[in-house]
Amino acid sequence: MQAPIISVKNLNKHFISYKKSPGVMGSFTSFFKRNPITKEAVKDFSFDVQKGEIIGLLGPNGAGKTTLMKMFTGIIVPSSGELKILGTNPWERDKNFRKKIALVMGQKSQLWWDIPAMDSFLLLQKYYEVSDSDFNERIEKMSKLLGVKDLLHIHVRKLSLGERMKMELMASLLHNPEVIFLDEPTIGLDLVAQDNIREFIKDYHRKNQCAIIITSHYMQDVQALCDRLILIFDGKKGYDGTLDDFENILGNEKVVSFTFNEPQLNDYQILNAYKPQWSEDKTQVELRVCEEDLRSLSSTIIKNYPVTEFATDKMPIERVMKELMNNPELLKSQLV
Amino acid sequence: MTEALERNIQKWWITIKVSWVKHTAYRMNFFLQMIGPALVFFFVKYNLWSSIYSADKSMIIKGFNFEQMINYHTWAFIVGMVAQGHGSWNLSDDIRMGRISSYLIYPFNFWEFHTASWLSFQCIQIGIASFTLVCVAAAGVLQLPSLEVMTMGVAYTLFISLFWFTMQYFTGVLAFWLEETWILRVMLNIITYFLSGAIIPLDLYPKWIVDILNYTPFPYLTYYPIKIFMGQGSHITQGFFIILFWTIVFAFLNHRIWKKGIRLYTAAGM
Repeated sequence: MQAPIISVKNLNKHFISYKKSPGVMGSFTSFFKRNPITKEAVKDFSFDVQKGEIIGLLGPNGAGKTTLMKMFTGIIVPSSGELKILGTNPWERDKNFRKKIALVMGQKSQLWWDIPAMDSFLLLQKYYEVSDSDFNERIEKMSKLLGVKDLLHIHVRKLSLGERMKMELMASLLHNPEVIFLDEPTIGLDLVAQDNIREFIKDYHRKNQCAIIITSHYMQDVQALCDRLILIFDGKKGYDGTLDDFENILGNEKVVSFTFNEPQLNDYQILNAYKPQWSEDKTQVELRVCEEDLRSLSSTIIKNYPVTEFATDKMPIERVMKELMNNPELLKSQLV
Repeated sequence: MTEALERNIQKWWITIKVSWVKHTAYRMNFFLQMIGPALVFFFVKYNLWSSIYSADKSMIIKGFNFEQMINYHTWAFIVGMVAQGHGSWNLSDDIRMGRISSYLIYPFNFWEFHTASWLSFQCIQIGIASFTLVCVAAAGVLQLPSLEVMTMGVAYTLFISLFWFTMQYFTGVLAFWLEETWILRVMLNIITYFLSGAIIPLDLYPKWIVDILNYTPFPYLTYYPIKIFMGQGSHITQGFFIILFWTIVFAFLNHRIWKKGIRLYTAAGM
């Protein structure tokens, strides 16, 4: 087996901030005496990433995802632990290392606002020492794929969020990085733009076989792109495995939905065991049913009630995620 | 020239060009930047000294008649524009708002980017200063010195602008520790304004104060460069070494502060 592209062992990061009581008195007191608070942002985190893998890093707000990304890219220094990206300590910020990685931040623009995207690209071409022929070829290909060819000479501040995000992606991929870090790349985008970006990343990965780590709150991103999922809760790794295993983490339950031809106002005792979730107008119910009960329960309901539609599906990843966020203790058995 | 050096020069050159585009992106802003300081100068300083000398045009104040005083302040204006025009607002904001993250990822260092931006800014300032100088000379407010004096004055002023940049950079990188550095910068600017002879010539100060000031960088920032342009150059060698000393001190401090500060950097807001 090849050496991992990313190797993380017992990584820790803590931040110190200062507590301040509200109001003028609070400001006055904190002027003389400051109460430090240490926040453990990442605790004892370990994992490896192989070449060509796409990893989804998921977790609630404040779980430590972005802190991990900052450490991976050398923006901040870990408090302790071992971290090697492409065999280098990222925080040493070796220029050769920087030429091999890319970071896209959905919430923060890396392009210069006051100039057209093309000027930024030309700047990055020189920074990353990309030859003219490669540069022209990549710009041509990527702008065509993303549909932004006509926008390259427009000031970045005049672009829409979706257009800007496409430019950000182009800027980060101009130098053909070996490892790409995508921090919420589709945040705030409409469905079509989200889909465009996903397709583009997928296509880029297929052609270049780079390693990608992506954080996102949109499960569609994860489902469309990732082979492997890492869950982070309160700075700790909660789950590390395939998407299929993740979907089964709460057991082999399926989601079954029944639609009725009229509102069902009676209390169905039979459904109570399957965590029913009724629509507001009481014409639809969603149940969580284990595989063993699926056939018998479905036929009973179809036979005895005015069912017009019936559908079954795997437990949606959003539902699993929500359940785990509300009950992180469910992951204890999965802790690696 | 080695290939690596050539590539590095290309990086600096493109950064200077892009910074130039950024500085001139807003036409109205650029226009105001060009004429604003000149208008302030003529409305405030010219009128002030005209009033002071209005009673007696032949009055001499500490060796300055009206024309010489206006000459002094016109040169103060030109020198200030080139030597002390640069501020470090962007730099400290970049640190405070977590915007330096991008520079930490690009294979071009933060100090390189800001130094190249400063060089670009200086080119614009020199252009504006030259334009202003030609205008005031054409209006008869100022007599242009000989080419030799001019070259000496320009070289000295550019050298001071390098010192000013390293000092501004110092106040900028303090943003790793201080959440707001603007008060520090405003204080520094006001102190410099008073002690460098930008408000009134140092000849009007008590001699003992000037003797002390001569050991600090302040008088060499405005007063002595003006004297060079006015053909009365003095303390040139002493000024050169004092400014060189402080430039090296600030460059060293900037390096140390960056090394230490970057370990504290949290990239807040990212």
